Amino acid sequence: MKICWFHLMPYRHLPPDFEQKYRSVWVDPPSHLYDAEKAHVLYNEYLDELEHAAAVGFDGICVNEHHNNAYGIMPSPNLMAAALVRRTTDAAIVVMGNSLALYNPPLRVAEEFAMLDVASGGRLVAGFPTGTSMDTNFAYGANPATLRDRYHEAHDLIIRAWTEPDLFAFNGKYTQNRYVNIWPRPLQKPHPPVWVPGSGSVETWEWTSRMNYVYCYLSYSGYKHGTRVMKGFWREMENLGVDDNPFRAGFLQLVAVSETDAKAEEEYAPHIEYFFKKNLHVYPGFTEAPGYRSIKTLKKGVGSNLSRSHSRKRTEMKWKDFVEEGYVIGGSPETVADRMREAVEGLRVGHLMVLLQIGSMPKDLTMKNTALFASEVMPKLRGMWSGYEDHWWPNPISNRAVPDPVAG
Amino acid sequence: MTKRPNERTVMVGSLPIQVASAGSGPPLVYLHGAYGYLGWPDFLEGLSGRFTVHAPLHPGFGESGDADDFDDLLDLTLFHLDLLDALGLERPDVVGHFFGAMMAAEVAAIAGNRVNRLVLAAPMGLWLEDHPGVDYFAAAPDKLRSILFADAESDAAKRWLPDPGSDEERHLQRIERTRSLATIAKFMWPIPDKGLKKRLHRISQPTQVIVAEKDQLVAPAYGCAFAERINGSKVEVISGAGHLFQLERPADTRTIVEKFLTA
Repeated sequence: MKICWFHLMPYRHLPPDFEQKYRSVWVDPPSHLYDAEKAHVLYNEYLDELEHAAAVGFDGICVNEHHNNAYGIMPSPNLMAAALVRRTTDAAIVVMGNSLALYNPPLRVAEEFAMLDVASGGRLVAGFPTGTSMDTNFAYGANPATLRDRYHEAHDLIIRAWTEPDLFAFNGKYTQNRYVNIWPRPLQKPHPPVWVPGSGSVETWEWTSRMNYVYCYLSYSGYKHGTRVMKGFWREMENLGVDDNPFRAGFLQLVAVSETDAKAEEEYAPHIEYFFKKNLHVYPGFTEAPGYRSIKTLKKGVGSNLSRSHSRKRTEMKWKDFVEEGYVIGGSPETVADRMREAVEGLRVGHLMVLLQIGSMPKDLTMKNTALFASEVMPKLRGMWSGYEDHWWPNPISNRAVPDPVAG
Repeated sequence: MTKRPNERTVMVGSLPIQVASAGSGPPLVYLHGAYGYLGWPDFLEGLSGRFTVHAPLHPGFGESGDADDFDDLLDLTLFHLDLLDALGLERPDVVGHFFGAMMAAEVAAIAGNRVNRLVLAAPMGLWLEDHPGVDYFAAAPDKLRSILFADAESDAAKRWLPDPGSDEERHLQRIERTRSLATIAKFMWPIPDKGLKKRLHRISQPTQVIVAEKDQLVAPAYGCAFAERINGSKVEVISGAGHLFQLERPADTRTIVEKFLTA
């Protein structure tokens, strides 16, 4: 079982009436709500938290990409990953990931991921998301009609740039390049493991299994809803004749651990509510630009993660509801460990990503959540899936260079 | 909603296009916009008294085939020339609304010999920073009537943008709206300024521009912006009407169009 610590890097200082006064946390949140001096502190605290997670034994630390977003002030996860490479020694650096269709040329992703892989001694997981409609279509202006086609072309170019031994020419529909020849190439061979975050579409399941990538279901709706989706995933794997190795899959879960169940509620409830009420307050018109999902997928009735009914419901929920419905696994270490085991078994996932900094949660509480999870919960999950081999985990070299102390 | 007359499938190359036709007299092609294109509006019925009106549904709309094979605006413009060929029309009058007006202008600019007179109603295709208009690609479905009509409660608004009668109908409406907007988005995302401003000067046909005072998508200022780039063109502003003024004020629209085309 591999357990990774995931950071969204939310802006923690939205006003109390944010969701009444403004229509969206994403795409068009007004910039006057953003204080750069506060954000300066946040970046440093958030990197501290990720480094702490690596130090207390999490297998990996995860960063991700969002744009125009007050719940994720990390437009470039690669910058954060580069900082983490120098301040951690063993943890996998899971960049979850770069929205391939947004980079022009996409070789930029091949280069930066290769740099991270080489600099970290082979600790990189390369995440290849399509990106949400808010990020790609509305914030970055990418055409929804061609986004997925562009993604697949970018993917093919990146993999070829990593793996082909010689310079080659690439004549794509979106990218043409006479001299593809990136320096450096990744350290891991043939290339770093690829994880693909998705939101439950059958096409993505089919593709990731064909490519032998990890499929990650990243939703904020928790393991109970996730189990229903992942049952579909595993059924599809069976249909495709693919084995049921749990390490083919990843899942994100919100977790809040304290000394007792009651104390967990007391300490974490306001931050959980901040997360669901403010951080997920997205204007419905932004959740799916026309063409972002294929008509075929729409006809199947697959909804977006942030569909309107969901967000309406979430605004009325309290701690008790979030815990009961599995959005959050929260309580004493015993409660959390029991629930986590149940969740991991039901989901059948080998790569668990936990969100331990949630919403407005300050650094001291995040550190406590992290430390308690590492010392009291993690040992009870470690042995799960020990009968399976993780073919999708980084394979670092053993004699890795470490930073020298800064000379005075 | 009145049924489209003489509706049939016309093959344009390998692409099936739905075309309705009515009336007699000189040929007139109507290219619709992003909304309110289903059914047969009074304004077209009126024009069919003096013209043979042909109203195709764009690729990606209704029963017409998808625009998958068109990668850019040039492909789409050339498709319209093929469409005129398929309809056997050498040089019809062309009336376009919104997206349809943009395509009409593109065709007239590139192949002036294929368009007789040109009517650009609420035309898309330019971008004025002071008049971005409502972002129709991000508009909530339940707000559409108030965005597209000056009076969202009017009979016309309810007739041409009906509320879904059931969940299934709502789902089907959503799919149709998504498919059609995705098609427009393919060529216009995220801002419809795709070079028409460099080509409008090539239009030498008599041209009438029509805008509406309360159009939230195409502000009246676009009327002048088009007219000042097209030699000899004229602008009419329909007061008190919204984006779908041809549905909201069919008689006024028809009068302006007829007066211009029969002058």
